[in-house]
This record gives sequence, C-alpha cells and structure tokens, in this order.
Amino acid sequence: MNAVAASLLSGHAFLRGMHPSDVALLADATLAVELPAGHRLFDEGAPAANCWLLTAGQVALDLPVPGRPSLIVETLGSGDVIGFSWLSPPHEWQFGATAVEPTRAFELDGPAVQALCDEHPRLGYQLAMRMLAAAVSRLQATRIRLLDLYAPPGGGAAG
Amino acid sequence: MTAATLPARYRVASRAAETHDTVTLVLEPVDQPIGPHLPGQFTMLYAFGIGEVPISISGPAGPGLVQTIRSVGAVTRGLCEAGAGQVIGVRGPYGTGWGEADAAGRDLVVVAGGIGLAPLRGALLAALAARERYRRIVVLIGARSPDELVFAGELQAWRAGGADVLVTVDRATAGWAGHVGVVTQLIGRAQLDPAAALVLVCGPEVMMRLTARALCEHGVPPGNIRVSLERNMRCGVAECGHCQLGPLLLCRDGPVVSYARAAPLLSVQEL
Repeated sequence: MNAVAASLLSGHAFLRGMHPSDVALLADATLAVELPAGHRLFDEGAPAANCWLLTAGQVALDLPVPGRPSLIVETLGSGDVIGFSWLSPPHEWQFGATAVEPTRAFELDGPAVQALCDEHPRLGYQLAMRMLAAAVSRLQATRIRLLDLYAPPGGGAAG
Repeated sequence: MTAATLPARYRVASRAAETHDTVTLVLEPVDQPIGPHLPGQFTMLYAFGIGEVPISISGPAGPGLVQTIRSVGAVTRGLCEAGAGQVIGVRGPYGTGWGEADAAGRDLVVVAGGIGLAPLRGALLAALAARERYRRIVVLIGARSPDELVFAGELQAWRAGGADVLVTVDRATAGWAGHVGVVTQLIGRAQLDPAAALVLVCGPEVMMRLTARALCEHGVPPGNIRVSLERNMRCGVAECGHCQLGPLLLCRDGPVVSYARAAPLLSVQEL
C-alpha cells in the first residue's frame, strides 16, 4: 500500500472535475492498493469502513449461498467505485467482494473521509453527488437487467 | 413471381447447435444461387409446408450462405430442426448492410445482445480479415447466461485476430470468470474513443435503444451508431408495406439504419 499523489487520484473517472484542493484533501485519506486475484475485499455483514476506486482489474460482488457456489451479483472494473455501505447505517456490507483478477485501486479510508467532509462542506457535497451518480448508474443498470433484454420479442409467439 | 421473390432451393450442408434454442445452418445452392450478400443483410427462409421468415445472414460475404436461427415459433422451429441434406427455400438477399468498411482508419465497435451477435458476425469477420484497415476492433457482447452465448467457440479466435472482446452475462453460472452485468456497462470499460468509433449495434430493440443511449452519453455521435431494426418483413422488396416503421420500409431501407435516423422512431408507441 502506498500514499497517493493527488495528481494520480484526480485522473480517476469518479473524481474527474473535482477541485484540485479537494482532491488533495482526499489523497491524504487514500492508499493505492494492489489486490491479487482471489483477494477478499469484504464479506457480507462485516463492518463497512472503506471504499475503492478501481483503476485496473475486476472485482466481483457476491452473495454466499450455503451448500452452493456464491452467486455473482455484478462485476466491476476500471473506473468503477466499490463500496456504498460505509456511507449509511448500519455501516455493514450487504454483499461480499473478491478480486477475480489482479486489481489495482485507490482505497479510501471511510471514517477519515467522513471527517474531511464534515470539515470541508464543498468536498462533502462533491463526494456525495458523485456517490449518488454512481448509485443511480448502478440502479439503472439493475433495472435494465430486470427487463430481460435478450428475450425474443413477443414471447416467442411468432415466426 | 419475379426473380426477387421466387425462392431458390438450398440444401443444408451442415447444422451446428449454438445454444439450446439456436442453430447455425450452412446452406449450399441446389440450383441457381441467390445474389451476393453484404454483412447485415437478411434472407427470407422458407420451411416448405410451414412458412417463411426473415433471417439475418451470419456469415461473411462469399459464395456460402450461413444463417443462424433461434427457434421462437413454428417456422423457425422447422428451420432449426432441418438436418443435413434437407432442402429449404431462400429469397434475397435483402436490405442494407452494416457498412463496416466505413470505419477504415478508425475504430470499429460491435455491440451485440443475445442472438444479435449473429447478424454482426459477418461484419466482424470481414473486418478481422482486413485487420490492418482499422485501429481498434472492439466487440462487446451481452447474454442472459453463459450457456446462451452464441458463437462462444469463436471468441478466442477473434481475440487472437486482433479484436478486444468483452462478454457480460446477466446471470453467472459456476465457472464463469467474465463480467456480470448489463451490456451497456461494458461501454465504459472498453475505453472507447467516442469521436473515432463507428458502432454497430444488434439485439432486441430495447437493448439497442438503451445501448445507443449509453453510447451517446459516452460521446459517440448518433450518426456514428448503426442499429439493425426488425419488423414484419414479408415481401422483402418494399411492396407489401408490412415492415413499415414511420417513413421507412425496413426490408429496403433497413434492417441497418443510422441511429440518428432511427432514434425518433423507436420511442413512438404507435409505430
């Protein structure tokens, strides 16, 4: 794990356009991490304190099912953010997450970031808006999956 | 009947199961073949005694005719069950092609949903055969589950041929190591150059609308997105009007249409 230069952090899609002084504040609460394939980021039900901005590789969100392989809910990759549960009560992970291939990320220290946001409202607002946009994007993707996009038209009644 | 509407007899040379409900037939002419085709065009396939349906050509331009068919009704079931040696009727080819060569010097991006990969396969193979003409060739594929991926056995060859291939499924099964999520999520991961990309999109209509919208949000101009639209193709020669979509007769003006032209039509309920 390494401290992160603000210039590197500002290049992540999630933070693009954020004021440089705000990125510099975040950089003090962020580490650059390299996660080997198979590395477990968190487990369902465990306390949620961190958030990751992926820069390379792939992470799978999963739901363990007793007696069966874990269900993969979604995979996330470069440019994505992982970890919303640290923001709101009960501050517990709702799913698990594993790096499925060698992965690089910026790891944000949740409590430290929250303290920064309390102290610097502009940073807090910017971060909240970005988290909201990421959550909306994921919600929309989930809704699209519910549509069963690849089903044949007309329920297969014609042709 | 004119030559354009008279079926030619073709014999099934081979049949390969792609998924539980989809097969690829390789057809060879019994008598006079139909005219040369472009990737993206379709034919009317006639299961004798059952009926006729429009099916996209899934092979590259050339003497052979490769058609991939999903069994969704009586006619397609009859075609899917056709074994080697069986004779079927073929009319066409009809409609517009993808025009993949327009991406020469730029990036060619192919986005497929489900069996929508079949009409794109010919364009992709043609581009890979002339790989040096393009900068990147990117293939983004979405499917319900790994066992519903068509042409799954060819993906590695496409990668080896110089394409960046990303595949995502809605529901992973044991052993699946690829992406899980909707195909639109692959657009961001592919790190496209939106100003330099010609994007060909094929799949169910809702999937194409959402994909085109996501591409536009990533900066791809609507005029650089092409979609393949399907309506009730019957005559194939723009005479019967069954395939009308607003001002378009899709058997002639489509199936491949610029999204800039198609977008205003795709959200009109009455069309």
